[in-house]
Amino acid sequence: MSSTLSGNTLTAEAQAQLRHDLRTPLNHIIGYTEMLLEDATAPEQRDRLEQALGGARAALELINAALGSARRIVPGDVAQLYEALQAPRETIVEAVSRLLAPEPNGDGAVNADLRKILSAADQLAPEPTRTPADVKSSQTPAPSAPPVAAQPSQARILIVDDGAENREVLRRRLEREGHAVETAENGRRALELVAARPYDLVLLDVLMPELDGYAVLDALKGSPATRDIPVIMISALDELEGIVRCIERGAEDYLHKPFDPVLLRARINASLEKKRLRDLEIEYLREVNRVIEAAAAVEGGHYRPGTLAEVTRRDDELGHLARVFDNMAQQIKAREERLRDRVRDLRQEIEMARRDSKETESALDGGNLRSGENFAQRYEIIAVMGRGGMGTVYRAKDLELEEEVAVKTLRPEFVADKTLLARFKDEIRLARRLSDANIVRTHDFGEWAGVCFLTMECVEGITVRELIDTRGRLGVSATLAIATQLAHSLAVAHQHGVIHRDIKPQNLLVDEAGVLKVMDFGVARLAERSTANTEAGLVIGTPAYMPPEQLMAEQVDARSDLYAAGVVLYECLTGQLPFQAGSVISLVAKLLKEDARPPQEVNPEIPPALSALVLRLLAKRPEDRVQTAVDLGSQLAALG
Amino acid sequence: MSRILLVEDNEMNRDMLSRRLQRKGYEVTMAVDGRQGVDMARSGGYDLILMDMSLPEIDGWEATRQLRAAPETKTVPIIGLTAHAMAGDREKALEAGCNDYDTKPVELPRLLGKIEALLGGPQ
Repeated sequence: MSSTLSGNTLTAEAQAQLRHDLRTPLNHIIGYTEMLLEDATAPEQRDRLEQALGGARAALELINAALGSARRIVPGDVAQLYEALQAPRETIVEAVSRLLAPEPNGDGAVNADLRKILSAADQLAPEPTRTPADVKSSQTPAPSAPPVAAQPSQARILIVDDGAENREVLRRRLEREGHAVETAENGRRALELVAARPYDLVLLDVLMPELDGYAVLDALKGSPATRDIPVIMISALDELEGIVRCIERGAEDYLHKPFDPVLLRARINASLEKKRLRDLEIEYLREVNRVIEAAAAVEGGHYRPGTLAEVTRRDDELGHLARVFDNMAQQIKAREERLRDRVRDLRQEIEMARRDSKETESALDGGNLRSGENFAQRYEIIAVMGRGGMGTVYRAKDLELEEEVAVKTLRPEFVADKTLLARFKDEIRLARRLSDANIVRTHDFGEWAGVCFLTMECVEGITVRELIDTRGRLGVSATLAIATQLAHSLAVAHQHGVIHRDIKPQNLLVDEAGVLKVMDFGVARLAERSTANTEAGLVIGTPAYMPPEQLMAEQVDARSDLYAAGVVLYECLTGQLPFQAGSVISLVAKLLKEDARPPQEVNPEIPPALSALVLRLLAKRPEDRVQTAVDLGSQLAALG
Repeated sequence: MSRILLVEDNEMNRDMLSRRLQRKGYEVTMAVDGRQGVDMARSGGYDLILMDMSLPEIDGWEATRQLRAAPETKTVPIIGLTAHAMAGDREKALEAGCNDYDTKPVELPRLLGKIEALLGGPQ
């Protein structure tokens, strides 16, 4: 360990580095001064240059004396040397500054060399940041000395320069300003460092071996990860072409060596401020994006509350928006969870109903079509699914699309009137547009061998009619599950201008997952007209679910469906109809003069708010009811 | 006119020394690191090489050894330059293959004397 002296002394390497750091600027000062002296003719000019040269020689002597290789050097010696160097340094600066002439009158080339001398002289200035640790003292740093806390305004700056002296000058300057500085001695190393950690600013030398400043600049600006880091190019060449080339390639600014300290600081601060504002803008956009993504997640049903926690802490408009949004999303989430619970209850009801009535399916007798029969040259009949007032529903295989469908044949008396049939087709055309999880999809209308038929989505399920018939009244949460989904399906249909006209438990299918599917949208149009036409009261379907205006063949609108929904919910909750009568005439009479008994009176388990909501759906005059299906959905959601 | 290859990484040193040598009548070409210096020297045409010893990529010591090992540059005179000015640097430089050695700050008359001695007379 001959090169390392014991105790608080500098290692041989540290001494060598220090000698190098001080002799290099002196080399510049002496070299340029002597060169200028060779050209100088005016006595006053020569005097100044001689003064500067004298200062440089004095400084060199001080350095040689202090850093002679045989000496043991302690950090105190270094501080003392720097102090001693200030007198000759001031002599140099004083002499050279007086020679600097304003550019239009002065010689540009001479001024450039004079500035180089001043820049070199700057490197002889004492360093307040220079500590024993910085000059590689062999002594371990005192453990009591805490690291200086980073100031908020401090920036992380990377200096890229192949010249060790230039790196050092810049590093010292910037560290004095309070910045955290790292250096790279070539372009390759610079790209490695930038890839490894974020910087606020890069100072980039133009002329470097191998990868030059232009190539590094191109690499930085070509990558999305680094293109927002401002780059200030530095070069000894003060050419317009070079400056333009850098700015065109995305450099923030351009500085030429030797640096004017004031200009350097101003440009660096300006770049950092721009970067800070850009960072704020990028962060803002990122957070706006987070809110947008959260909105999509809510729609897609996979929003996790708290996702926006970071954004909600902002105290600006965006933070406020995020808080409101997060709150809403959490409510939606809670509502969805309640709905899931209700559906689970509903499924339990379905399972039990199935167990209770095994005979339901077998009770159905066959329709006109037989199993295995080919119908309309497209459908292979599998089995009868159900029979209604208007016809028979078969499960069939669509041979064209290799898919199971439901085929509903319509009794001839319903399609006899060609005008009515045309209107019915209009209605089906509208219904075909409805596509929703809560609606049984209508596929097609056709006529084959004199039989009119509809094809629909084939849903394996149980009707709410069967549920009520086998279970009696349903629980509150199962009813709410039905009500919420019924309200949703009506909202979708009404939005498309389709009114169901025949909402009743027979038309509400619940599949095995507890999803309610409303069927026969548009179909009731046919039945209603037939009723009106046959006068004497071939009453199709079930008048018990019809509102007064429909029974009296007045104007029917979306609110008529809401009345029917009210009857269905009444029946689900209580197991009985709100009004019971033997004929249409007595039913109408009852409807007009009697109010339904509040469901809560029939079944005390029903919450008062739900009971009141059902009564509001059953209002005699459409304008007294809940007005829209969307509104019904919100009111159901508000019930908790 | 003698051609000198100046291998120097410090921009200001390159600028200053090349200009001073040009004023004295030398044709100066510059390399900015050891690798470039070796490549340029081996492509030929230089009468003398001024080699800074602390260089990026390949330092001056290694570059000198490589030049001495290559047949085309085996005999080209090399003057080592360093600002470190450590005791023993001179011997080390000569050992690596330098013909002479000088320190920075450059004393031009002294350096010119060494150059002229190796080239066999002033320009």
